[in-house]
Amino acid sequence: MTTQIADLSTERKAEIKEIVCDILELELDEVTDISLFKEEHDADSLRTIEILASMERNFGLVLEQAELSRMVNLAGVYAVVAEAEGK
Amino acid sequence: MSGATGGTAPHTAPRHRVVITGLGVVTSIGTGVDAFADGLRAGRSGAKPIGAFDTTGFAYSNACEITDFDPEEWLRDMAADELGRAAQFAVAGSRMAVADAGLTEDDVRARRTLVSVGTTDGESRDLDHLIGLQVTEGEDRLDATVARRVWPGRLSAGIVRELGLEDVETVTVPTACAAGNYAVGSGYDAISSGDVEMALCGGADALCRKTFTGFYRLGTIAPDVCRPFDADRQGILTGEGAGILLMESLESALGRGARIYAEVLGYGLSCDASHPVAPDRDSIARCITAAHRNAGIEASDVDFISAHGTGTKANDVTEVGAIRQVFGDELPRTVSIKSMIGHTMGAASALAAAACSLALREGFIPPTINHRTTDPECAVDCVPNEAVEARLRVVQNNGLAFGGNNAVLMLGHWDENATETLPADATAAA
Repeated sequence: MTTQIADLSTERKAEIKEIVCDILELELDEVTDISLFKEEHDADSLRTIEILASMERNFGLVLEQAELSRMVNLAGVYAVVAEAEGK
Repeated sequence: MSGATGGTAPHTAPRHRVVITGLGVVTSIGTGVDAFADGLRAGRSGAKPIGAFDTTGFAYSNACEITDFDPEEWLRDMAADELGRAAQFAVAGSRMAVADAGLTEDDVRARRTLVSVGTTDGESRDLDHLIGLQVTEGEDRLDATVARRVWPGRLSAGIVRELGLEDVETVTVPTACAAGNYAVGSGYDAISSGDVEMALCGGADALCRKTFTGFYRLGTIAPDVCRPFDADRQGILTGEGAGILLMESLESALGRGARIYAEVLGYGLSCDASHPVAPDRDSIARCITAAHRNAGIEASDVDFISAHGTGTKANDVTEVGAIRQVFGDELPRTVSIKSMIGHTMGAASALAAAACSLALREGFIPPTINHRTTDPECAVDCVPNEAVEARLRVVQNNGLAFGGNNAVLMLGHWDENATETLPADATAAA
């Protein structure tokens, strides 16, 4: 990728974190940027799809299903959303 | 289940052999057994753009929709709006199966029967409609007629009401995409044990927005067509329809000189519940082995497998892996009629059982259409694109469902010439 990817604003990251925690039924302080949804938070693949769908719906994006493989933690979700918003 | 060995008296009363003598099918490649059989032989495709609901916002939206079904043609007693679309399919299929078996509804009414219908969605199409009304019109604007028919019990109860059956057990089996095989299996048990004399069993589902959207969101809807076992397969097309099998004991069929499509040799179930949507290879292998054991056959006896074969990446690799686990390196030809009629959900394994019955009776194997290059990860001879003639003895019909609900049905060829020399103990367990 040669495109410059803008970092997400703090507000956008907070919004994303809130959505993710809501879906995974976790408190905000239980999740870090790098804690893994599946391994550490007991999320199954359907929850990950729900996260992807919520990103699309809330931020008006279209995300490729293949991006699911990167959306394993908050950092991954931030990156995918940042890339999609940069397009 | 297993019979007594070598001369030992059986522990239980002799069981009845079970045969299929009538088929009722409503599909996107043809309604009625003749049209369906022609469609299977010709490798017809039911794929088309969805007309059942608004698909605005979806990048692609093909399905195997039925566009020529008129419930009034089949319903005599009930008003069409008393039944949702799935129940209409089921009732139409039952009427066809009864007529195809050379029976009248009075004949069926005179016997103790089981009506067992499998489904994934019940009348979710009506639920889509009701929720649409709630959203656009408000909470108190529900359509009472539609709300009354949502109960999935109507899939089987509708058949019972329409045919006026009285001495009947009425069951709707909600085991999703394996439900058709579950229902046929329950009919096999009820007839072989002597609980009933006849059974109308199968499955029904109608295209609905909820299920299309769910599969779409899972990334499992193919953009154009369904290509099972193909390297470029991209998923399912949702479908709809009903398959209803009229089953009876062998004595009953022979007694009335009925045409026999196939014998139900047995079935196997496995419920692993290990994942909501991902299939479990070991559990499927267990299910296949259980079916073979119940039918009293060996893997090497199987002439072809009608696979669940959805055309998703996950299903085809896992299913073929499980088949390989049981069969070793010598796999029988393994086809998927979902390439033609789409994934008809609760009707899928019932329609596939009807297809297997026709294959056994007429001596052909239906093709897997839309096939270009076989995926080495699920390498099977899928009878690509064109049906083949084949003398068949034993056929295996796989039904695999979300939640790890698996049901595998074994059907056998019925040799008409053998009926004259039927041994006196033919009712003993096979």
